[in-house]
Amino acid sequence: MLIYSLKRLLLAILVAITVSFISFSLLFLAGDPAIAMAGEGATDQDIENIRQLYGFDKPVLVQYFDWLLRAIGGNLGESFYFKTPVVHLIAEHMPVTMTLGAMGITFALSLAVPLGVLAAIRPNSIIDRIALLISVSGQALPSFWFALVLVVIFTVTLGWLPASGSDTWLHFLMPTVVLSYYAAPAFMRLTRAGMLDVLGSDYIRTARAKGLTTKSVFLKHALRNAIIPVVSLAAVQFGFMLGGSVIVESIFALNGAGSLAWESIGRNDFPTVQGLILVFALIYIVLTFLADVLNAWLDPKIRIG
Amino acid sequence: MRKKSLLTGAALAACLATSGVPALAGKSDDTLTVAFAKQLENLDAYSATAREMIVIARHVWDGLLYRDPATGEYLGNLAESFEWVDATTIDFVLREGVTFHNGEAFDADDAVYTLNWVSKPENGVSNQGNVNWIASAEKTGPYSLRLHLKEPFPAALEYLSGPVVMYPNEYHAEVGTAGMGSNPVGTGPYKVTSVEAGKRYVFEKNDGYFAGPKGTAEIGKIVWRTIPERNTQFAELLSGGVDWVWQVPPDQAEKLGKKFSVSNESTMRIGYVSFDSAGRTGETPMSDIRVRKAIAHAINREAIVNALLKGASKVVHSACFPSQFGCFQDVAKYDYDPARAKELLAEAGYPDGFTVPFFAYRDRGYAEAIIGDLAAVGISVDFGYLKYAALRDKVQGGEVPFQFMTWGSNSVNDVSAITSHFFSHGKDDYALDADVKTWLTTADTSIDPAVRKENYAKALSKIADEVYWLPLFSYNVNYVYSDELEFTPYPDEVPRFFQARWK
Amino acid sequence: MTDVTHSIEEEDFGPSPREILKKSILAHRSLLLGFGAIVIIVLAALLAPVLAPHDPYLQDLSIRFTPPVWQDGGSWEHILGTDHLGRDYLSRLLYGARISLTIGIGAVLISGTIGTTLGVCAGYFGGRVDMVVNYLITVRLSMPVVLVALAIVAIFGGSLNIVIMVLGFLLWDRFAVVMRSSTMQVRNMDYVQSAQAVGCSTLRIVLTEIMPNIMNNLIVVATLEMAHAILLEAGLSFLGLGVQPPLPSWGLMVAEGKEMLFFEPWLIMIPGAALFILILSINLMGDGVRDVTAPAGKN
Repeated sequence: MLIYSLKRLLLAILVAITVSFISFSLLFLAGDPAIAMAGEGATDQDIENIRQLYGFDKPVLVQYFDWLLRAIGGNLGESFYFKTPVVHLIAEHMPVTMTLGAMGITFALSLAVPLGVLAAIRPNSIIDRIALLISVSGQALPSFWFALVLVVIFTVTLGWLPASGSDTWLHFLMPTVVLSYYAAPAFMRLTRAGMLDVLGSDYIRTARAKGLTTKSVFLKHALRNAIIPVVSLAAVQFGFMLGGSVIVESIFALNGAGSLAWESIGRNDFPTVQGLILVFALIYIVLTFLADVLNAWLDPKIRIG
Repeated sequence: MRKKSLLTGAALAACLATSGVPALAGKSDDTLTVAFAKQLENLDAYSATAREMIVIARHVWDGLLYRDPATGEYLGNLAESFEWVDATTIDFVLREGVTFHNGEAFDADDAVYTLNWVSKPENGVSNQGNVNWIASAEKTGPYSLRLHLKEPFPAALEYLSGPVVMYPNEYHAEVGTAGMGSNPVGTGPYKVTSVEAGKRYVFEKNDGYFAGPKGTAEIGKIVWRTIPERNTQFAELLSGGVDWVWQVPPDQAEKLGKKFSVSNESTMRIGYVSFDSAGRTGETPMSDIRVRKAIAHAINREAIVNALLKGASKVVHSACFPSQFGCFQDVAKYDYDPARAKELLAEAGYPDGFTVPFFAYRDRGYAEAIIGDLAAVGISVDFGYLKYAALRDKVQGGEVPFQFMTWGSNSVNDVSAITSHFFSHGKDDYALDADVKTWLTTADTSIDPAVRKENYAKALSKIADEVYWLPLFSYNVNYVYSDELEFTPYPDEVPRFFQARWK
Repeated sequence: MTDVTHSIEEEDFGPSPREILKKSILAHRSLLLGFGAIVIIVLAALLAPVLAPHDPYLQDLSIRFTPPVWQDGGSWEHILGTDHLGRDYLSRLLYGARISLTIGIGAVLISGTIGTTLGVCAGYFGGRVDMVVNYLITVRLSMPVVLVALAIVAIFGGSLNIVIMVLGFLLWDRFAVVMRSSTMQVRNMDYVQSAQAVGCSTLRIVLTEIMPNIMNNLIVVATLEMAHAILLEAGLSFLGLGVQPPLPSWGLMVAEGKEMLFFEPWLIMIPGAALFILILSINLMGDGVRDVTAPAGKN
């Protein structure tokens, strides 16, 4: 167990370093940051001053190692645009995105798991078909389209929900639905498949044979076993959601990390973009690491294989 | 460690989020809610460069002078009067009895401190062009000062009534740029009472505002919201969440006009097509004047203005905005004439047209219309639509043979802010014409208006004759707002909410 | 499809497996539905030059925003109306099918090649190779796709080729994961072992023994990823960084239509619906193929 965890940790660290290098070199191609910082009316001299001030005239590799060393010390540099430390910016914008991600996952799970269970209990029934329909059509809807349609209905036509901002939980309602509907089908399929597997397995038959009620069989045994892969998928999906909240945040004017990243790309503010990609990747790496270790702990087969 | 604090933050945010529909703003609670797309880096007038900051600066601070937008006359603002001592010296007598929002009194110490502080490049004013003409300021009395310029600079008054605003010396010395950015203090008609970066700023009427040329504000509270997505702005407007939006495209403005008030006002920004006449990108068809003329005849500027830009926009022929000093208008004009364009292309050796890279960074619809017109005469393009920063990098690196660009001249009403910028052999110059450069330099450095006009006219005529640029059109801005609001826009693209009233 | 039936034929000794497969395909209504819709869309794309009533690039600024025929002011001249430059919307939709399909297929060809190569290598060789591939997959999965795609397209500009390449290089993970586990299963089969014993070359074994047996999974992943790529392109277009005009990808049409969302909703509804139907059909087909070719025992 310990050896498996250590191995897995080593992989995680290796991946983190690789990702840091990719995000660094990727955004180094982003044109001359000095020009972006100087703005439209800047003179050549302004641009040259900025270039020297921020060390853009040094070789790329030197800049990378400088950046990595500082990053390890918790310093992701200073945003070109805001002139404040990137770490502060991310800490400032992350709560909105985290809240959104957490609500999105919760909503997706609370919709998908019951539907998946019902679908598995009665395969090929009406419920199964409706669940399938939701899952297939849900994945075919472009999220921005869905978001705008919701705004047209619930803000402009009905006037029930605010279209933008992040002040109250009502502001999070539409963004949550948009963000979660894309994740929900995966949970549903996995729950359904897991339930079907478990229900067909020997020990459920045994439990039933022992005369346990159907309800307790489902809740105590089947669901508990079927839900394990769903939980680890949730960890992965949470990571995806954080990185994928760009469109949702820009439509609903949620000033979270996703919209910060998007705006920063447009501003050539590459320390911020680098920092965000790195943080998103790290969150994902940590979550999957935890999920893997958890899985290994629950299922001894994994850590041997 | 960081991760933990982030998670704690998330939990906190979730806890703080309480239920309740936000109150609708408007006349009833004397709150004007306005929406802007851009997030500002901070609220320090000297470090944020976006237009939104210029707007905020006009509300929170005052300059020594104020330019009356109706007459163009320079009036005293924080200064009561001013006098040119010689070409590089101005004396000011300051207004007495003015206080900053934090109670600090305004006097010569504040003005001298501000002017000296911004004049030093090491203090990091982002837009050095606004302040680099200042040599120094000295106090000549408790309410008077003398300003020294580095060289004769007639536009000094323009800057003193615009971007150069007065800071409170004690407060600024204590909190610095960062403090000013998060907690700004000025003398202006509105004071900042709440700052939530990237979300909203709240401004409240400064009841103690002096009766200067800006007048006194009427609306009690302005809530300034950042909403990047235009449709979301409209949704908020339609549902009563905001009262005022701007930069609304003409089609949408027309439709919104049925329910809201719409004002349209010209701006100093012009759109233009520029060609690589000098061959900086290597051999391209663009170095042939017949090709450039063909393109000038191929693009139906009139139709684009009438159908797409609408409003106060006009076709422009000279490489500057018509109201700018020295913007000579009697230059060669190229009418829409696709048949002539095809002839010219055939003469140039391209009877079947050619393919060329074409770049733009904004107004994709306009660029598409241009591409459509070009296709009609046989010219096809590899279109690249980039972010401004990325495109400007490419342009300055000499990689762009053909581009649709725009220039706003930083709202400076003088040809030196546009033509001289692009045709004096700088990085943006794809013509590299020695004559044009000589004329522009002569005009830029002369103080005799007649000499300036004559030389600008020569330069602009040659630019048009050689079709180094094809100037396209001037831009306009649509302001859409609640019917309850009385609002007047000005061509300098600075909305003045301190003049707005409820009806 | 033929490969699948071929291999099953060799494997099973049941009564005419080809018949069974045919029967289960015909019985699978959503598979048929999805397949039918895709055939129609592909035909529309191929026959666009014949079907389109107008030149999709021809602009006429005097007839901008002509509504579709079923609305007031519409005409049969422009059945689906005209866009912001007065171009015929139906013609653009037909040509747009080409662009969207090209993006989907192009991206899947790249990602499929990368992912399958990595996945099969990892599954077949195991050990160190598996570890390296596993590491690559983890790196890829930890990069936020939308952000990275946005950043690259913002830097290099959004030409059709760049968008296809970016999506292709970002979406290979599912191929790698699925091909890896499928190959692992097949590798231990008797016929692979005997081929190894006979001394067949690795390449030959992979091509003749492994690939045919994992082809059904490959098809399923390919369809799903194709839908994914088309949707992602639409998202990039929405943020202004997808395929560039005047090319009419459906994603771009939705993005352009969104400008008039509150005023001319049909501009976004028409390409949006087309996009929805395409993705839905691809997904239905993918799911159907999985159901039909899945080993017996499910349900």
